[in-house]
Amino acid sequence: MSLLLGPTDFRMLEGLRLAPRRPFHGRIRGERITRRRGVSIEFADYREYTEGDDLRHLDWNVLARLQHPVIKTYQDEEDLAVYLMVDVSASMQFGEPAKATLARDTAAALAYVALCGQDAVVPIAIGGPRQPLVTYRGRSAYARVAGWLERDLAAAGPSNLAQSLREFARQNARPGFIALLSDGLDPAAANELRVLGGRGFEVNLIQILASEEIDPDLEGDLRLLDAESGAQVELTANRDALGVYAENLRTHNEGLEAACRRFGGRYHLVRSDTPLSSLIRDHLRPGGWFQK
Amino acid sequence: MSLIAPAALLWLIPLAGIIIALYLLKMRRRDVRVPATFLWPAMTYEIRANALFQKLKFSWLMVLQLLALAAIVFALARPQMLQRGLGGAVTVVVIDTSASMSATDVKPSRFGEAIRQAEGLISQAQSTDRIAVIEAGSVPRVVAALSGEPSRLRRALAELRPSDADGDVGEALRLAASLAANQPSARIVLLSDGVFPEVSNFSPGKAEVVFPRIGTSGENVAISAFAMADTPRGRELFYGVRNFGREAAGVRLQLFADGKLFDSKSIELKPQQTLGETVRAPAGAKLLEAKLEGGDALAADDYAVALSDPGASVRVLLVTSGNLFLERALTLEPRVVLDKSATVPTSGAWDVAVLDGITAERIPARTVLRFGASGRGLNLRKPTFAAGTSGQPLLRGVELSDVYVDLAESGAAPAGAQVVAEFQGGTPAIMTRQASGRREVIVAFRPLDSDFPLQVGFPIFLANALDWLVPPSSRGTTMVVPAGRTISLPVLSDATVSLKGPTGSITLTPTNGSVLLRDLRTVGKYEIGDRTLHVILRSDLESAIAPQDRVVLGGTPVASTSAITRFADLWRWVALLGLFILAGEWWLFARRS
Repeated sequence: MSLLLGPTDFRMLEGLRLAPRRPFHGRIRGERITRRRGVSIEFADYREYTEGDDLRHLDWNVLARLQHPVIKTYQDEEDLAVYLMVDVSASMQFGEPAKATLARDTAAALAYVALCGQDAVVPIAIGGPRQPLVTYRGRSAYARVAGWLERDLAAAGPSNLAQSLREFARQNARPGFIALLSDGLDPAAANELRVLGGRGFEVNLIQILASEEIDPDLEGDLRLLDAESGAQVELTANRDALGVYAENLRTHNEGLEAACRRFGGRYHLVRSDTPLSSLIRDHLRPGGWFQK
Repeated sequence: MSLIAPAALLWLIPLAGIIIALYLLKMRRRDVRVPATFLWPAMTYEIRANALFQKLKFSWLMVLQLLALAAIVFALARPQMLQRGLGGAVTVVVIDTSASMSATDVKPSRFGEAIRQAEGLISQAQSTDRIAVIEAGSVPRVVAALSGEPSRLRRALAELRPSDADGDVGEALRLAASLAANQPSARIVLLSDGVFPEVSNFSPGKAEVVFPRIGTSGENVAISAFAMADTPRGRELFYGVRNFGREAAGVRLQLFADGKLFDSKSIELKPQQTLGETVRAPAGAKLLEAKLEGGDALAADDYAVALSDPGASVRVLLVTSGNLFLERALTLEPRVVLDKSATVPTSGAWDVAVLDGITAERIPARTVLRFGASGRGLNLRKPTFAAGTSGQPLLRGVELSDVYVDLAESGAAPAGAQVVAEFQGGTPAIMTRQASGRREVIVAFRPLDSDFPLQVGFPIFLANALDWLVPPSSRGTTMVVPAGRTISLPVLSDATVSLKGPTGSITLTPTNGSVLLRDLRTVGKYEIGDRTLHVILRSDLESAIAPQDRVVLGGTPVASTSAITRFADLWRWVALLGLFILAGEWWLFARRS
């Protein structure tokens, strides 16, 4: 079974921890500090003692000095839900190398980092058939996540990015950190990202585009066939048409970025031929994806 | 606007149909699979067609192509537009340089205005137009052959000078017609005041004759006669002054004897009035001059000269129905001041009357040279010329043995006549007679009924006859010559001689002991060696300077018009517009491709 990443990748990822911009409630005790008061070594505040409080948390020094019982409270530490959303729509097969390849490798790297941080990793194939959400925890689960990425992603059929995001939003999954690896080439994608943000998710989008999508090399009288919807557009590819395309792409990408940033998420646009190490070193690290 | 070839417009229908049919063809596009089509605009420019028909869509390329086609087909139809202008595609400009064109009723002169109009015509000419310039002077000549070079034509115009002589517009027009013959859209532009006799034997062919009249006024006073005669009362001077205008005029006449003023008088003339007077000439005066002062439009006819030596100038009246040989031979004689008439005038005073087959009872001349009929008719005998009587001054230098005569009089010599030459058989051929102080030379045949005019001896015979009829009292060195006349003057050596005149000095080279003077165009005093020539203008025709609204050319009246138009060919501009539209269509095609 392939682990998708090489030894140098693992060494690079060793010691990293995902850094969500805000805390999330967890389901089980983990290594993430939450807003919830709980038991940990992280002091949070004082409060009045009430009957039933655990006397172990009574501040005896204050009681001795002021003759008034106060209880020390601590921040709880819970696990973080990391939703690894990998776009498996047909458009991800474009590019050299294919956009899907970088998306899969990036998902594996983020899964490894999350699992090492005792976070709950939920890999989701976006744009494919709906599948039950499976949560993986612990470093040992990486091999299963890698296997899923390699096996199930390749088997995923063509679907719609926005529709998949809409269906995920309806599943009432607990809010958490979403790492969406997609080309975002769906006119309704920005709306769905805003919906997810509104439901408490931190949406972090890594938009992967092929070079020919950023600078298309088309010429002549063409009939363009949509790889996903099968729609057709007749086009005379000239300077004017290419100019309009570049403007439309820029507007679309700005919409995606705005949708991510509105609820505190992050947005990165990378080419499909970007090496994984460069993506982590030049984009994710400077972008604050990992704790320092 | 009109079209030369309107049928060419029919080409528009099939050609436009082909273009539209090509746009009905559907375009076959290359299929390209893309990740998403929503980013791509539906921008189609159907600039190629390679499939079956489709519904016709609006296309700027098609519109431009149809416009270019329309322009090119329209150009093929040769559109023309009427615009103001003298010239045509081929234009022969005839510029009248006769004396009347020197009139200054238009500034600077009629001749100057003609040159200005000719220059305007050259400036307005299109690049493919060709223009020729002909000078209608006393001897018409082509000063510029058909050419499209404006600089060359302007140089030719600059060489033209006004003349104080009679012009031969008829000959110039015939020359112009020959230049314009077989030329499409040819036009003969006559820049003249219309002051010339009716032109006969002229046909412009397909060319159009345009006559933009030059001149505004006919007011002119001229010295119409100026002569000196010995009478029983002594030497008298006769002068005539005529008002050719339609308004009364006042002038001052000054008379000079050998350069000194001896009389001056103011003369008031009614319209068209001629005033003639006889005054006594100062004794011993050799050169008498008359000058008019009044500032009229034409100065050339305000000057006249008379010589006291009657042999110095011989006034000759040629009465003929048409004999070029006689006329030419007489004008070659420098002393001769020639007048020509078809009938014998009832009044006048000439030194010699030359009658070419004309019979008249009363002849207003002192002497007569009579050819042919003397009242007895001609027969059809074909006499052979015999040798003339030797030693006769009339036949000095004349060889008669080679002369053949077709028709001659058969009668005997008239009373008192001396036979100078006779035909074989004794019939008189040439006779002289002196009766009551009148000398007469009788030639029994008309020149045109023989080959005598073709012989070298013919002009010599005429000179001998004039010498016998009007013997020169002395070999004078002063002569009066009509302006425009070409004369031959004997010189002693073959060295070059200088001719000084009112317009400057030129050098002439003698040929066979004589020099030919062709440039006596301006009225005034000329000096060549020890001889003095006084060039004068005495022509009622030229003095009547009233510009004519209508001239008769070859029997066809041609009216003058001030607004002359021409058809300007527009096909080049329309074709250029078509090419411009095609260039725009190509630019649009390249931009959309």
